[in-house]
Amino acid sequence: MSRCRIESLGISLPRRHFRRWGSIRHAVQAGRQCLKTSQHCKADVGLLINAGVHRDHHICEPAMAVFIQHRLGINMEFQGRSTLSFDLQNGGCGMLDAAHVVAAQLQSGEIEAGLVVASETNPDRHPDPNFACPASGAALLLDRSPWSGSGFGEFAFHTRDEYADAYTSLVSLAEKRGRIIMKRRDELEDTYLSLAGAVVEEVLARDGLRREEIDLVVPAQISAAFLSRLPAVIGFPDGRVANFSDRLPDTLSTSLFLALKLAMDGRRPVPGQKALLLAFGSGITVAAATYHF
Amino acid sequence: MKNSPRSEAAVRSDNIRIESLGVYLPEKIVSMEEMLASCRRRPRWDLERITGIRERRMAVGEYAIDLGIKAARQALAMSAYRAEDLDVIVCTSISKYNGENGFHLEPATAVRIRAAIGAGKARVFDVVNACAGMFTGIYVLQGMIRSGMARCGLVVSGELNMPLAQTAARELRHSFDGQLVALTLGDGGAALVIDRSPDTQAGFRHIDLVTGARHDHYCYSRPSRRGPGGILVTKARGLQRKGNEHFPAYFKRALDSSGWTLDDLQHIIPHQVSVRAIENGVRAVGRYLGGTLPDITRCCADHYGNTSTTSHFLAIHDAILQGRIQNGHNAMLVSGASGIVIAHATYTFDELPQRYRARFAGDR
Repeated sequence: MSRCRIESLGISLPRRHFRRWGSIRHAVQAGRQCLKTSQHCKADVGLLINAGVHRDHHICEPAMAVFIQHRLGINMEFQGRSTLSFDLQNGGCGMLDAAHVVAAQLQSGEIEAGLVVASETNPDRHPDPNFACPASGAALLLDRSPWSGSGFGEFAFHTRDEYADAYTSLVSLAEKRGRIIMKRRDELEDTYLSLAGAVVEEVLARDGLRREEIDLVVPAQISAAFLSRLPAVIGFPDGRVANFSDRLPDTLSTSLFLALKLAMDGRRPVPGQKALLLAFGSGITVAAATYHF
Repeated sequence: MKNSPRSEAAVRSDNIRIESLGVYLPEKIVSMEEMLASCRRRPRWDLERITGIRERRMAVGEYAIDLGIKAARQALAMSAYRAEDLDVIVCTSISKYNGENGFHLEPATAVRIRAAIGAGKARVFDVVNACAGMFTGIYVLQGMIRSGMARCGLVVSGELNMPLAQTAARELRHSFDGQLVALTLGDGGAALVIDRSPDTQAGFRHIDLVTGARHDHYCYSRPSRRGPGGILVTKARGLQRKGNEHFPAYFKRALDSSGWTLDDLQHIIPHQVSVRAIENGVRAVGRYLGGTLPDITRCCADHYGNTSTTSHFLAIHDAILQGRIQNGHNAMLVSGASGIVIAHATYTFDELPQRYRARFAGDR
């Protein structure tokens, strides 16, 4: 059975503008870049999933994916080819979750191609100081790989709900327009690290890979301190773990794929190479996936 | 598992089915008259006559997540699966009022539900797709079950919509205010255990969801700009007109894909927006198909109001307990949601109605 592959990857990096870019604008920018470099036309996209958590105006209905679909101009009318758009929320692991959902729909033959987008923003006039993440966007176009060996290998998701309160984010409705209140415990990074080893073991075992066979580990860019401790915890040498903490702050749900894009731009992967993708998010959930280039 | 509902060798079907159903309805009943009386500026319309909604349930001292957890427990009580057997939990609530403070984004509501029901090995995430949320959750699980990524899963939703109705009651400025539709909302929870049907003749025959994103402006929900609380703004007539323009074609497509005609259908279960909207929808399908539809539309909006994502499953709950839905009956589930999302599913009931009545009829 053919694997699900990343056919195209687009990003919208954090940027300074006179006017702040919102979540839809970042997602659309990333989506346009993704579709521009793709061999697929827009109409091929049968499923569009938005995995971003924080959104413009704190809109909770309809799904933000609908606005993104509209602005990207993907099968907007009911006649002809159709697209289903919805939001999938699972904090920092949302994009990997969404990629897994698209992979399932590709395998079951429901769709030809799926677009996963994510973007983050804080639309508040006076943002919570704990919300230090700049606005950004990322998009992946996924389809069935024509090569039997390339694409996503295995996925693993570990959730430890006893740490659910270690990372919370809510929109307070006590004041008009709403306001994001984010709480992250100091030991959050330690919790991520304590779960990372097991999830890496599981995903490698399920894909039948040894650590030596992994050419590149791409983690979400949580912080410089976190990334300096991560290689030892998951048993990889420092040089094989992508670290862009000098130019890429933590951007929540988009962080992993911003880092993957930078890693691929810097060192273009050759067929046969393998990567390990690692995402961390509230829940606490740590997600891993192997990827065969 | 308590008792395996199927052995691997017995699997022949690619259909997924509702292995178990759970609903939770808060006890407090709020009539339309009480709702209108609570409005700071009472609209001049007789909303009960216009919408057909007499009353709805309202949760007191409970949050959206509590409604979801109670529905999930009901579903598991009747299921052959235990909580620890679940591979996936998808929470599809729109209203994430999971505590006093507001609208909870992280962690995913499904994480809290997993902890509450003890589903220790389940993968969890939330899916949000307006009122078509539970349909979308079923669609996601269908893909995961068919591709072998999961064996069984829980789609759960707890909708605490009354805060939106209360904001509307505070903020309504005139009788044409966009928040008027929020006065038709009600609270409720629903949960489904989904697995692969052992019988090729039962379960979901066809699931089709489509988003017409050009029409994303008809209905939205966000925090109020005038005070505390969230609001739901709907251009109801435009949304209904646009929906009725397009959904009959998808209705027919669902019938055709299932190899059914109208004579094969025993039930049409629409999204319970309002009694009047359902009647208009039935007429639109009748016009498209060139005739009058038989009286097979199941409606519970008159006493539950619009419970958004959970509405179809409250209607199924009612119809089963009233003895209308029997084993082997065919149903068409129709959903329309802001976006605009149009969703259709054809479903053949297995022995669920009989089991459901046996377990819950006595409680009623």
